[in-house]
Amino acid sequence: MGKNKFLKRNVGFLFILPWLIGFLVFKLYPFAASLYYSFTDYQLFEGITKYTMENYVDIFTTPKIVKALKVTFQYSFMTVPLKLVAALFIAYILNFKIKGVNFFRTAYYIPSILGGSVAIAVLWKAIFKDDGLLNTLLGFFGVNGPSWLSDPSYALFVICLLRVWQFGSAMVIFLAALKGVPEELYEAASIEGAGKWKQFFSITVPLITPIIFYNLVTQICQAFQEFNGPYIITQGGPRNSTTLISLLIYNSAFKNYEMGMASAMAWVLFIILMVFTVIAFLSQKYWVYYSDEEGR
Amino acid sequence: MKKNQKFIALGLVAAMAMSTVACGNQSSGETPQPETETQTQTPAEPAADTQAEAEPAPEESAAEPAAESDGSYENCTLTISWWGGDSRHEATLAAIDAFKEKYPGIEVEATYGAWSGWEDSMATMFATQTAPDINQVNWNWLEAYSADGSAFLDLNQVSDVLDLSQYDQGALDQCVVAGELQAIPVSMTGRIFYWNKTTFDKAGIGTPTTLEELMAAGETFKTVLGDEYYPLTLGEYDRMILMVYYLESVYGKAWVENGELQYTSEEVQAGLEFIQSLEDAHVIPSIQTITGDGAESLDKNPKWMNGTYAGIFEWDSSASKFNAALEEGQEFIVGDYLPDMGDYQGGFSKVSLGFAISETCAHPKEAAMLLNFLLNEDEGTTIMASERGIPLSTAALANCQAQGLLNETVAEANGKVLAWVDYPLDSQFEAAALKSSDGVYYDVMAGLSYQDYSIEEAAEVLIDGVNEALSK
Repeated sequence: MGKNKFLKRNVGFLFILPWLIGFLVFKLYPFAASLYYSFTDYQLFEGITKYTMENYVDIFTTPKIVKALKVTFQYSFMTVPLKLVAALFIAYILNFKIKGVNFFRTAYYIPSILGGSVAIAVLWKAIFKDDGLLNTLLGFFGVNGPSWLSDPSYALFVICLLRVWQFGSAMVIFLAALKGVPEELYEAASIEGAGKWKQFFSITVPLITPIIFYNLVTQICQAFQEFNGPYIITQGGPRNSTTLISLLIYNSAFKNYEMGMASAMAWVLFIILMVFTVIAFLSQKYWVYYSDEEGR
Repeated sequence: MKKNQKFIALGLVAAMAMSTVACGNQSSGETPQPETETQTQTPAEPAADTQAEAEPAPEESAAEPAAESDGSYENCTLTISWWGGDSRHEATLAAIDAFKEKYPGIEVEATYGAWSGWEDSMATMFATQTAPDINQVNWNWLEAYSADGSAFLDLNQVSDVLDLSQYDQGALDQCVVAGELQAIPVSMTGRIFYWNKTTFDKAGIGTPTTLEELMAAGETFKTVLGDEYYPLTLGEYDRMILMVYYLESVYGKAWVENGELQYTSEEVQAGLEFIQSLEDAHVIPSIQTITGDGAESLDKNPKWMNGTYAGIFEWDSSASKFNAALEEGQEFIVGDYLPDMGDYQGGFSKVSLGFAISETCAHPKEAAMLLNFLLNEDEGTTIMASERGIPLSTAALANCQAQGLLNETVAEANGKVLAWVDYPLDSQFEAAALKSSDGVYYDVMAGLSYQDYSIEEAAEVLIDGVNEALSK
């Protein structure tokens, strides 16, 4: 009887054991190990010869790494708002009862499941190369398009656009949130004479702020960790204009085998992410509305 | 209650962000994976490349006496890896099948893939001793991954099975690191010019045989064919190699010798000025122009395929790849070295690639049998032919020549390279910190072309980078 009770109480652990093992081995251990390595000069084929803080000093004094951090900030500050606005806007449109809405929902979601594949790289290059689709279209209107992929001023924009284009998953979450907004609020607003825009900003947006907050935090995390876009399309070029910090971490670890430096950069990125996340959480009380018993 | 929820939420976010330093972003996309057995690949290999292997059972490896060629063997399973294009995969798989037929007790499992991303994954395997038993290796990998001889078996230990007498001693010496013969060289390679004769005909001039003619061709192409036409195209690494060929031709000394850079800042500046003069004279397109073409590699660039770019400076073993990429009606010819580049025959040849047996291989004798079959025996070399360049093995070369199996263009280019080049190459020339797309060569050559660097700055960055690589 006692044995049965024990089993009953702990059987749950058995079910989560696969995840737990995966978490310990593939997340927690690398997490802790990388912190240790970040204070060493660990080189993949030479091992550790000294313990040092130099990696962290180098991160903020090496022009290439500083530039990568700057580009990562630029990338994140461009993609996160653009992606959220695009996802919310399209979700709002697709929330109306329009003909073929399921087709459009699927069509807009597809890019986000394509990810950073070779096919996407080929597509993006075909669109943005010097004599690609976009410049050909611009040429019809007499506009001489720029070198999107090879001009350092434009290349980051091309990479940002890829991420923004893949707004499907955020859109689906917004769509679910929009479905949850009570219809009677819109009816009441209509009776009071509020137009669609007024309803959107005064009813829809406030009621879905928890979802906006959720999407904001996840998109910040994803944007700062972005790797696939620049890796498959520009390889960080031209002139490091699309070298995000994650790409530099990869190059440092797997091209130059400097695991100590790569670990330190990863930790700096982690700290940056945590700072932004904490700021986002602290800002909740000013703009996020929770409809539980305590309200805001 | 509310606070608890926030703490839980914050904790979840922390776990998500933790992946930044743990396993990275898994939200979308894919990274290159090697393939096994029947997978297919895109051919995107460099001319000089390879890899090596490793596997459990250390007891039977390093300390073992030389294997004996008594014809006996143990039943076992060997693993082998290589990179390359589809035709190389097909040939190697067919040769492995023939080997398995000859030695039914030996099973061979193959892992193969395209070059893109290959070295990254192999490096990880070498570091963790999880690489296959036999690996195609790039020449510089021996220094990079086995500087102390710990990754690859000394092939002298299996010389009774693997016939080393078929190889030129000089080529074998290039694969000796830490006093051990760590790989068997498969072929030698060097850079040479190739021209699209059809485009030169359209421009009304012959293919260049001197530097003077090449410089003049730039202006002719521009005026006769148009701004987008160039007699030659060079990526960042191509520029670096051509610059070294040029400097060696002018100054008559190797780029690096005895682990030291042999050139002064002024001399390096002269080399960089030469490269820049090619761009200024419309001989080569700028790096921005090439990047704007949006092609993954030069052989996949439509401007090479249709003859807009009419020349390349490439490895001799890459001839067939570039020839095959041309559209119908384009005539591809092997060029000559430009004798007026300097008073000396500048340039180098090097081991294109080799095969190495992992130090941890459980069956080194059987692995050596497989290598000997693929590289020296008629049955194997007939199938492998010149898929990895013109064979260095005299037996393989004789067999391929007798059967007419060698690619004529590759053979012609290889003959010209080996007859001309005269300088040694330090393996650190190909160190990842210099050669990779994130490395010094790319930074210097692209920086110069984008005018981010002056000649003086570019020379300084290059010399510092090379010295740093040599110091490791």
